[in-house]
Amino acid sequence: MKFSEAKGRKVVDVSTADTVGKVRGFLVDAESRSVVALRLKKTDHGDVLRWGALASVGVDAITIADPTAITELDDELKALRGKRRRMTKKRVLSTGGDELGHVADVEFDPATGALTYILLHHGAEIAAERLMGIGSYAVVVRAEPPTL
Amino acid sequence: MKLMRTSDIAQRPVVTLSGEDLAQIKDVVYTADGGSVSGFTLSGRGLLAGPLKEGLAWSSITALGADAVMIADGHALQPTEAELDTSRGSAGSHGNVLGSQVLTEDGVGLGTVHDVVVSVDATGGGQCDVVGYEIVASEHLGTQGEKVLIPLPDTMAVSGEHLMVPASVQEFVGEDLAGFGAAVERFRAQLGSTER
Repeated sequence: MKFSEAKGRKVVDVSTADTVGKVRGFLVDAESRSVVALRLKKTDHGDVLRWGALASVGVDAITIADPTAITELDDELKALRGKRRRMTKKRVLSTGGDELGHVADVEFDPATGALTYILLHHGAEIAAERLMGIGSYAVVVRAEPPTL
Repeated sequence: MKLMRTSDIAQRPVVTLSGEDLAQIKDVVYTADGGSVSGFTLSGRGLLAGPLKEGLAWSSITALGADAVMIADGHALQPTEAELDTSRGSAGSHGNVLGSQVLTEDGVGLGTVHDVVVSVDATGGGQCDVVGYEIVASEHLGTQGEKVLIPLPDTMAVSGEHLMVPASVQEFVGEDLAGFGAAVERFRAQLGSTER
């Protein structure tokens, strides 16, 4: 599933069948190469939903078992939010110091939250296992060894 | 051989593997003999940023690419050492070769140095070797006024005014960086065989 597809999707509480929020963005940890939490459009309780609290990421809705899982940002997650940690539209540099393009979208596994591919604006795909870091200047990916 | 003009390296951002741009390249610093690059002086990022007191040694660079200089993390930036200072730019006698006249050993002026070409693929312990100069050709090269590339021997005599090169360098003049690496290798191989 792509970030662009999941964005705007509603979050539904399984116990009450109520819509409790809408996906606004993603908090990504570069080290584990995974989505650690979703940012929601402001709800009554907060706007952060940790990946572990999701019951399921479905085609039409994301379900949660317990709406109290929606919380305010804690210090650990604060480090991952904001423009500096955003991936989309950021330039992609290889560890060899060459610019590969800009991030158009990111694909992740809806079952685990693990990133699978970084999609570039010109159509190329980079396997997410090459991700090294997400910084204010660039998303850094491991340079591919030269093909012999 | 991955080659680069040093004028292209200036202003390039210095980026950590976590994607933060910490500085940009200000000047190239050569070793005392002028044969390789020992490191870079830095300035801050942004239009209004001034020079930094930290420098970047060649040995702490992860890679020098077309768009950025990659470093592992902020520890790569170290307060500029005396070693970097002495050989910097116009301060040292061998530092600033730009504008110097290139003379063959038989006294023919080939032109004046416009840019320095370095080989940048030897990161992680290797040397950033100065392999050639881009010169503005004199009338002796038949392409007067044009910029051409000449390969350099491993070692040569340099004063503030002149650079001495073997006369045979004229057989290996190149026009662009593509293919110039091969010319450097052929030139150095030929020098090696005649010296023996």
